[in-house]
Amino acid sequence: MTLNPLLEPGWLGAILPEILLAGFGIVLILLDAFLPRLRGLFAPLTVIVLVVTGMSELVVPGGSYFGGTYQISAITRLFDFTFLLAALLAVMFARDYLQRERLEGGEFYALLLWGTMGMMMMAKGLDLLIVVLGLELLSICIFVLVGYHRRALISNEASLKYFLMGAFATGFILYGIALFYGATGSTHVADLAAYAQREGALTPMLTIAFVMLIGGLGFKLALAPFHAWAPDVYQGAPTPVAAWLSVAPKAATLIALARLLDAVVPLSEAGNWTGILAFLAIASMVIGNFVAIAQRDLKRLLAYSGIAHVGYMMIALLTIRPDSIAAIAIYAIVYAFMNIGAFGVVSLLAKNQNDPQTLDDIAGLGFRRPYYGLALAICMFSLAGLPPTAGFIAKFYIFKVAVDSGHVGIALIGILTSIVSVYYYLRVVYFLYMKDSGTAPAIHAGPFATGALAISMAGIMVIGLFPTPLFDTALEAALSLLGR
Amino acid sequence: MDNLLSTILWLPLVGAVILVAVPRGRDEVFKTGGLLVSLATFLVSLVMLGRFREGEAGFQLVETRPWIPSWGINYSLGVDGISLWLVLLTTLLTPVVLLASRTSITKYVKEYVIAMLVLELGMIGTFLALDLLVFYIFFELMLLPMYLIIGVWGGANRVYAAIKFFLFTIAGSLLMLLAIIYLVFLQYQETGIPSFAISDLYAISIPFNVQAMLFFAFALAFAIKVPLFPLHTWLPDAHVEAPTGGSIILAGVLLKIGTYGFIRFVLPFFPEATARYAPWLATLAVIGIIYGALVAWVQADLKKLVAYSSVSHLGFCVLGIFALDQAAMEGSILQMINHGLSTGALFLLVGVIYERRHTRLMEDFGGLAKSMPLFATIFVIATLSSAGLPGLNGFVGEFLILAGSFRWSPLFATIAATGVILAALYLLLMLQKVLFGPITREENRTVRDMRWHELVAVLPLVILMFWIGFFPGTFLRKMTPSVQQLLTSVQAGRSAPGTHLVDGIDPHARRVAHLEPDRLRDAPTKAETGGGTR
Repeated sequence: MTLNPLLEPGWLGAILPEILLAGFGIVLILLDAFLPRLRGLFAPLTVIVLVVTGMSELVVPGGSYFGGTYQISAITRLFDFTFLLAALLAVMFARDYLQRERLEGGEFYALLLWGTMGMMMMAKGLDLLIVVLGLELLSICIFVLVGYHRRALISNEASLKYFLMGAFATGFILYGIALFYGATGSTHVADLAAYAQREGALTPMLTIAFVMLIGGLGFKLALAPFHAWAPDVYQGAPTPVAAWLSVAPKAATLIALARLLDAVVPLSEAGNWTGILAFLAIASMVIGNFVAIAQRDLKRLLAYSGIAHVGYMMIALLTIRPDSIAAIAIYAIVYAFMNIGAFGVVSLLAKNQNDPQTLDDIAGLGFRRPYYGLALAICMFSLAGLPPTAGFIAKFYIFKVAVDSGHVGIALIGILTSIVSVYYYLRVVYFLYMKDSGTAPAIHAGPFATGALAISMAGIMVIGLFPTPLFDTALEAALSLLGR
Repeated sequence: MDNLLSTILWLPLVGAVILVAVPRGRDEVFKTGGLLVSLATFLVSLVMLGRFREGEAGFQLVETRPWIPSWGINYSLGVDGISLWLVLLTTLLTPVVLLASRTSITKYVKEYVIAMLVLELGMIGTFLALDLLVFYIFFELMLLPMYLIIGVWGGANRVYAAIKFFLFTIAGSLLMLLAIIYLVFLQYQETGIPSFAISDLYAISIPFNVQAMLFFAFALAFAIKVPLFPLHTWLPDAHVEAPTGGSIILAGVLLKIGTYGFIRFVLPFFPEATARYAPWLATLAVIGIIYGALVAWVQADLKKLVAYSSVSHLGFCVLGIFALDQAAMEGSILQMINHGLSTGALFLLVGVIYERRHTRLMEDFGGLAKSMPLFATIFVIATLSSAGLPGLNGFVGEFLILAGSFRWSPLFATIAATGVILAALYLLLMLQKVLFGPITREENRTVRDMRWHELVAVLPLVILMFWIGFFPGTFLRKMTPSVQQLLTSVQAGRSAPGTHLVDGIDPHARRVAHLEPDRLRDAPTKAETGGGTR
């Protein structure tokens, strides 16, 4: 690690978004301690901070900081926006949820902000240790947030599960990095890239290191076969947390992984690491989609669907090219809109956190509460990848990249498992519109949740109908990641 | 550039959006509003008919705007002799359906009308799209409203039917999506400029083995949609469970998208694979003709009978396409329209008596001609049109298909011709059981004859049945140049072995290619022969 003790000029401005998030998180904690009467304002304040942070992204100068370990470029900006978007939607859904469950508190929002900061570090770190630092910051926030529903047993159980398995995962990641360091003498991505260019660079130790690393990251991604925690944790976590957890950390992990894979292309070609990734992608698509069929609990269903979606995103990582990075960036944004939207509707179902939120709970929603029913239906169609929603555009991009880079077979598996997925997404729509329980499902939505849902719908439809601006932005950003 | 086609395409959606904003409660508002919107769309589509220049083969009234420029995807619309009548059929049937559903749909009227209008958008879009991805998007867009129409307003077993319909169709179309991506990838490899435009994709040459795979993917999607035997099993379920309006649209337009897809995409994209596999698809079509007719014969349920007759009739359309003959192809396109009219009318009429008697079993009827003379008259006309009686539209289409395919293969044509006889058999039996004979049930004595809106809905269809029957030239003239150009391009794609076959010329394709010129050279005269009925 080549850490220059002298800081580059302008370093403070470069991490302005991170400073804003961290600082306001502390302010929230203090406000909660000394002025608890202001609790009702925490959510609006957090929304404002997230928006301000998003605007600050625009003035942050690009470049490399902290001795070349922290890179700010178009791609990190795009991913920062994705993280902020996910946090924004989660906060808006969380407000109504927390008020209903009488859980409102400053630390909830603070943890979300800090977790978002951790993801920004993951996306920007050029040194694997920075990535791990960000990942740990994120993970610790997640441990607490998952168990945030203190009175619900299921929430505590989920937290403990995620903590135990997450600790193991981090151990694997660190061990993998240590092996990389042992083989190459550095944890910096650029040094790894230089090492990978050498003749005969591949050693068995490096493959073991990669497998360790991908195992640990695969856990964070809920990639099969490291996915077993996801359904339990999503089910137990407060629903807005599950919404956020199912999207944002995956995006951060994928971009960090993409950066690493780009550096070690010669190694992954020599060691057939692509084969490992392909196996994980296929396993995720198959397991996620087939097991989701059997789910009746909405959050578990979305968990398995999430496993499958990570599988789709992994297809793009098989070959690192500008358009494959762009595909992941686009998928992450689209996934944020549609998955948080879907979880958001579930979070509005007024039920005891300990009870499962099953398909029966949304029976007849489509006609009795048309706005929420339609929103959930659109999310399902988007998740299923049907036009004219954004989900179609994102999936289409992934399959196009796969075909263009010669992975037709995997694209075919992706298509076939998509057919399977249509069945369970449609089943949700069936419960929405074709089954009536006789009573209106209990929905408690305030202006925040309704607004968040409107943002999700707008995102799904606008990207679905006018994808060009996003495509151009993402492709340009992808070039900055690859340094081309 | 003018926006005529865009107006036709988006008018239903504009209407749907306005209706979304209207609060629920007054059903009449939605029924009338939807009807007005669809009528306006129909009127604008008549303007399109008026501005369509006869004698031109290419696309007319073309509109192109960039949509995703980096991939060469354009929002591009156009109409030619092949799609012209299908668009008009769509814009005609939608108001017919909305009018016919005035009394039969009683719950969630708002949603029903909106679903129908969105469905109309999807159907028009598939016929007008000149860009493969835009076509695909509209193709899939139709699924959602149709799924809801069957699943929400359908019969007892509606959910099963709706999901089966959706899964069958999506299985085919997702595989086609992959084939589309691959096709464009090949196009990009060849030209260096990505494009999803149909005309650009016509121009590329594809090695035969790749063609075969892509042909399979495309053909599967469209064969499910048609539906071709043995992929037809979703159709009877969907038809029986769907509400009357859903059945009319499903049979009238949605099935045609399959046959249209064969003509527009499969034939010109993959000419060699088409030449090689045409006999196989024609075989399936002929099996479908006979099988559909035989199964229809033994049905007790009226809707099932009409549904299986659709399988049989669509078999004719597919046979006409894969005979690769001018007359047969024109007959096939005309038969698509005919089937839309006659089967649409039949479903509408079955809906009329179902609404009154809440049964579709033929044994529950009998002697209706006495109590419902008006209904009986129209039912007889629609049935005879479906059976192909000379003077009515069905005859022209079937005759052209049989005449054209006889030149290609007397065997296929002969077997298919028995399908016509079988059709007469089961359809006349149906007439006899429902309309004639003594009245066996007391309820049938007092059944109310057709209401004004039902009559107004079915009348345009009846008029067109006679019109096409007596003056098919009106309709055929406009499609002849486009069909001719299509067959020529298929022929050209096949007879250029140097560019189209990679290694080793496929003997079969060559043999067929060898035979082709004669058939095509006298194609115009054959069209004239076919026009003998004009």
